[in-house]
Amino acid sequence: MSPLVEMIDIEKHFGGIKAVDRVSLDLREGEVVGVLGHNGAGKSCLMRILSGAMAPSAGTIRVGGAEANIDSPHAARGLGIETIYQTLALADHLDAPANLFLGRELRTRWGNLDERRMLEEARKVLARLNPNFRNLGDPVSRLSGGQRQVIAIARAIYFDVKILIMDEPTAALGPAETAMVSELIRQLKQEGIGIFLVSHDMHDVFELCDRVVVMNRGRKVGSHSVSEVSKDDVLSLIIKGELPGGWVPREAERVQ
Amino acid sequence: MSAAAGSAYATGGMGQSNAETLHKLSALATLGILIGIFAFGNAAFLSVNNGLTVLLQTSVIGLLGIGMTMVIITGGIDLSVGAVLALSGTATGLMVKAGVPVPLAMAGGVGVGALCGLINGLVVTKLRITPFVATLGMMMIARGTALQLTGAAPVSRLGEAFGRLGNGALFRIVEQQPNGLSKVAFPGIPYPAILLLVVALMAAFLLKRRPLGRHIYATGSNEEAARLSGVNVNRTKIAAYVMSGALAGLAGNVLMSRLVTAQPNEGVMYELDAIAAAVIGGASLMGGVGTISGTMIGAFIIGVLRNGLNMAGVSAFIQQIIIGFVVIAAVFVDQLRSRR
Repeated sequence: MSPLVEMIDIEKHFGGIKAVDRVSLDLREGEVVGVLGHNGAGKSCLMRILSGAMAPSAGTIRVGGAEANIDSPHAARGLGIETIYQTLALADHLDAPANLFLGRELRTRWGNLDERRMLEEARKVLARLNPNFRNLGDPVSRLSGGQRQVIAIARAIYFDVKILIMDEPTAALGPAETAMVSELIRQLKQEGIGIFLVSHDMHDVFELCDRVVVMNRGRKVGSHSVSEVSKDDVLSLIIKGELPGGWVPREAERVQ
Repeated sequence: MSAAAGSAYATGGMGQSNAETLHKLSALATLGILIGIFAFGNAAFLSVNNGLTVLLQTSVIGLLGIGMTMVIITGGIDLSVGAVLALSGTATGLMVKAGVPVPLAMAGGVGVGALCGLINGLVVTKLRITPFVATLGMMMIARGTALQLTGAAPVSRLGEAFGRLGNGALFRIVEQQPNGLSKVAFPGIPYPAILLLVVALMAAFLLKRRPLGRHIYATGSNEEAARLSGVNVNRTKIAAYVMSGALAGLAGNVLMSRLVTAQPNEGVMYELDAIAAAVIGGASLMGGVGTISGTMIGAFIIGVLRNGLNMAGVSAFIQQIIIGFVVIAAVFVDQLRSRR
């Protein structure tokens, strides 16, 4: 079975600076891959390329085995690639249903906004994530950080998602909401959705991910099953760009 | 009038806050108080005739204000509307002079306005020039073109048909008196006022009920978020500038038709009245906020102030001073509310 997505020899230059230097990466069905690295290591850049927010300088992307031209966020979403941005990317003056359906509004037969159906659908999907979610008519600027995060997540999973990119999904959340996100990731994994989890939280990464990919100065310096590395090994990769001297896999087989 | 029309679409999706409703109510109250004061001072102010005069005078600022509101909601500004109004009006006038039938010439004039708007939109999105600078440039280009085309002289003797849009009225009742002379029983609703109502309704519908309207708000609210959500931000902005240009063209035709003369010098500083109307009506120059109904109230506040102060014999200079204070006061009151 071919991977959900393969990024092959991706490069991104800004002037003379190589933000992403010939990185290849893949993701399989139901797999959660942690993407780690310092700020500026190129992980966000790589994810932005996959989500269509940024064009790569070189390299190819295959989705479901077929070469894909992801030249806009719209194109990415069309391929089932959804992204939850760290900034959440919400329009503050609009309410929750309007944000949930932004860019993909439900329409009536005459092409007008179908507010009633959008409200109903929003109520359903938001209730699944947070049974206490109310204030569906308020501008999202007036909602709490947790509620805003719920909207951003709902927007990513409501549509036919196959590949989910989560950029620091729990950075702004309290313990209860963090637990909700962890539960959701397990649930989506069960449904066969592939997830890239960009995170600084080593605990989250080891609890939720099957595999970790570490970036350092634009290059991929490691890709390991979480069972074969320790947190210290990963930290070494993040900081020094290499595994500690004398490292051997904790369990025999290496994934790549 | 149009206030009620706009608010019919003011729910859903926009997460309309209480603050916004409150702003509109206070603007409406201001309008009511103004009318009360002027009526108290001069009985003729409340006459049907004067009411229709206010409608007529407000229609041009109202049309400009509607287009301006859409651009302001996207987070932009259109400084070119006054000059585009002049260019469109003179273009129509010149076409009529050249023998083009009036309706066709007027459509052409509106088209010239839309073209100016398209150029504004392309300069803002493709050349990435800030809206202030892009439309400032267009303001000079359009005004210069209008003056160059006409040699700065008014184009007159355009015929009766050209004057109908600006001077005609619906339901005009003329009675034959016993002495053989005719008397105007009801002057009728001026076409410009009807045009304003129709355009306001359509614009309110577009903003609240159509996906494009939703994208206009989203673009002004958080451009990056809109883009990442798959909204074609550039196309949305271009659409707003085209509508603003086309409405400036329409306003130009109304105004020149009313004068039955194409004046390349008309509409100087009208863009500022249009911005003032939008801002008094609650639009935010930061983008993401604004309604057609609010802008209509704002336009009528300016129109009523001008008309009432005129009737009270207040000089045009003092009028400007007063309107200046009103604009600042409106925004100040709005800020007080949103800070809370």
